[in-house]
Amino acid sequence: MPGDSLNININSKGVQQNSFDAIVIGSGISGGWAAKELCDHGLKTLVLERGKDVKHLKDYPTAIKDPWDFAHRGRMPLADEKENPVANRCYAYGEATQHFFVKDNEHPYIQEKPFDWIRGYQVGGKSLLWARATQRWSRFDFEGPARDGFAIDWPIRYEDIAPWYSHTEIFAGISGNKDGLETLPDGEFLPAWELNCVEKDIQQKINAQYKDRRAITGRCAHLTRPNPIHLQQGRGQCQARTLCERGCPFGGYFSSNSSTLPWAEKTGNLTLRPDSVVHSIIYNEQKGKATGVRVIDAHTKQVTEYFAKIIFVNAACLNSNLILLNSTSNRFPNGLGNDSGLLGKYICFHNYRGSITASVEGFEDKYYYGRKPTGVMLPNFRNVYRQETDFLRGYTVHFSAGRGRASVKNGAAEIGAGYKDAICEPGGWGVYMMMQGETIPKEANHVRLSKDKKDDWGIPQLITSVDYDENDEKVLKDFFEQGKEMLEKAACKNIVLNDSKQAPGLDIHEMGGVRMGKDAKTSLLNKWNQFHTCSNVFVTDGACMVSTATQNPSLTFMALTARAANHAVEELKKGNI
Amino acid sequence: MERRELLKMIALATGGALIGGELFFSGCKSAGGAVTFTPETIAFLDEVAETIIPATSTPGAKAAQVGEFMKVYVTDCYDADDQKVFLEGVNKLNDACNKMHGHDFMKAPAEHRKALLTALDKEAKAVQDQRSKAYSEYEKAERAKGSNLPIMDFKNPVAPHYFTLMKQLTLLGFFTSKTGATETLRHIQVPGKYDGALPYKKGDKAWADSI
Repeated sequence: MPGDSLNININSKGVQQNSFDAIVIGSGISGGWAAKELCDHGLKTLVLERGKDVKHLKDYPTAIKDPWDFAHRGRMPLADEKENPVANRCYAYGEATQHFFVKDNEHPYIQEKPFDWIRGYQVGGKSLLWARATQRWSRFDFEGPARDGFAIDWPIRYEDIAPWYSHTEIFAGISGNKDGLETLPDGEFLPAWELNCVEKDIQQKINAQYKDRRAITGRCAHLTRPNPIHLQQGRGQCQARTLCERGCPFGGYFSSNSSTLPWAEKTGNLTLRPDSVVHSIIYNEQKGKATGVRVIDAHTKQVTEYFAKIIFVNAACLNSNLILLNSTSNRFPNGLGNDSGLLGKYICFHNYRGSITASVEGFEDKYYYGRKPTGVMLPNFRNVYRQETDFLRGYTVHFSAGRGRASVKNGAAEIGAGYKDAICEPGGWGVYMMMQGETIPKEANHVRLSKDKKDDWGIPQLITSVDYDENDEKVLKDFFEQGKEMLEKAACKNIVLNDSKQAPGLDIHEMGGVRMGKDAKTSLLNKWNQFHTCSNVFVTDGACMVSTATQNPSLTFMALTARAANHAVEELKKGNI
Repeated sequence: MERRELLKMIALATGGALIGGELFFSGCKSAGGAVTFTPETIAFLDEVAETIIPATSTPGAKAAQVGEFMKVYVTDCYDADDQKVFLEGVNKLNDACNKMHGHDFMKAPAEHRKALLTALDKEAKAVQDQRSKAYSEYEKAERAKGSNLPIMDFKNPVAPHYFTLMKQLTLLGFFTSKTGATETLRHIQVPGKYDGALPYKKGDKAWADSI
């Protein structure tokens, strides 16, 4: 039986000593939420994290460093770029943050098609590194696959998740305006960030000229005015530094480290085990359910089994897929709950390829103070009420404006005192606009386990086989046309379109592979994120997603997790699992 | 200003992306070996940098120890080819000074230095134009072949001009140095709030670049 080889050197501590009410695999944005909810309900909860511990404040070594404190002023040395081309392609990777990213050579995977897999193996996972944009899905997003005939129907609707959006927003702290939009439901907001004068000008011009579009202030997980619930977490107001990915010494943005994990710890119910690489979930044939998790110590490679009544899988989308594919038994020879053969399939992501830059004339008597963590966004305006283009679904548009640096007047020497004076002043205003396109999940876009290549812990390496399709090209083309037109209508000049042609993955919004659904033949999880065929295992990270919508996904992962965790507690009480 | 903006400014000022900073092209680079920067070389580079960004009412590039920064950056972040161009550039720049003014750069008065570097700046930009053209042609050919992937293995057949390298590192090193950020620009690590319509009058300095 697969996994037998592990029994040779198993650390046979007493079953009782290693038993908990719940095990959560992963401590990132969704794992942190599972831990908080389960601990709040009194469950003794073990959180397993494969990476090192990162304690809030204490383990943010670069948080208060200045640019000159970095030898290469942010840039990684060439040797690192050569060794880690994938990590180096991430916008947030650099001298100030590299310690929170997985290095390519430490954790190899196999790219059947180019896929930039960005990972953060530490307590807190990528919740330390995320871009913190937080938007609710709308009814149109949950209804999309059924209406347009792709993937499968979501087993839930907006009404099912709305209370859980509120639950997570209140605790995490989300800033935004109540915009009253059907396409982007309002939430429980802290005050919105102020846009700068040029962003406001473009926003007003777009809103005045398009009946079907609304440019609004971006919503994000930053404490603009902390409530008592945030102060209780030990967090304070965002200080507008935007050095977020280093870890915030003020707790200004939401992360597992600053919020859910210390909260869970205070209940006395949390056991956090860093350096714990999950090999697989243990399935018991007699009981017909999972009984625990096999863990390999990241350093000693010693194997230990932990047991619990319920298991939450929150290892981040592709690693959750990997663990489940590797959780084989007589009952599930192809991976846990994988009777349908769909585990690892229908991987989807966000199409980030298109960006547009432009310049704005005027506003030379205006500048800004501080660095705000958000900009302007336009919720999707394509195919919302009916199919109206030659592509399926649509895209969110984000944009922001700022002043670059001035230069000398034409012909003057670009050397010397006059040059220095000129370039020390702010220059004209520029706009940066980007797309976040929905992609259509397809069976062909999948991950699977390598049959021969293993990692340093003896776990099969993951093969990624994910690509764009024709729909993505059409969405990109439409973004270019519409983005350009909107900027033109907003009187922007020097409009330049850029297709980064970046590989999937670099969006860091990978989703799917263990999708929810109504039917065990076409999905793995039910509407409560429980396996149809192994009801005490829950998957609530990006892996559970049926489709991607156009919103930044983390808020939805958090809300689904809180919802599933509360359901799990109820089911435990009823003796159903 | 974000680091992205600083890099854009450097690109505009020198007619091309920061050399060694083209992340997508890192696939083909041979790692730079150990390179020797003597104290004389660093002093020479300080003077080149000071000519580009001189002390005025605020300190210049020499006070920001830009020569020392160049040593670290060239050693760690340049490939072997660019290192060679940079180091040979020290002698070439000196030769060019002798040719233009009849004496070594270190002995040249400020006006001679400025005239020389102004001429080199033009020369370097012409080379950058050729490099841009070579890249565009390569990209066009790749796309014609049907490739829809990012271009990662491009090695520009036109070597950069040494002065492009020196100017880029002067700007990067100066504006991210303590003196450049705090005494010439305005640096506030903890702004505490955001104001989106701060009044601006000509002469007010830009915010320092966050990295």
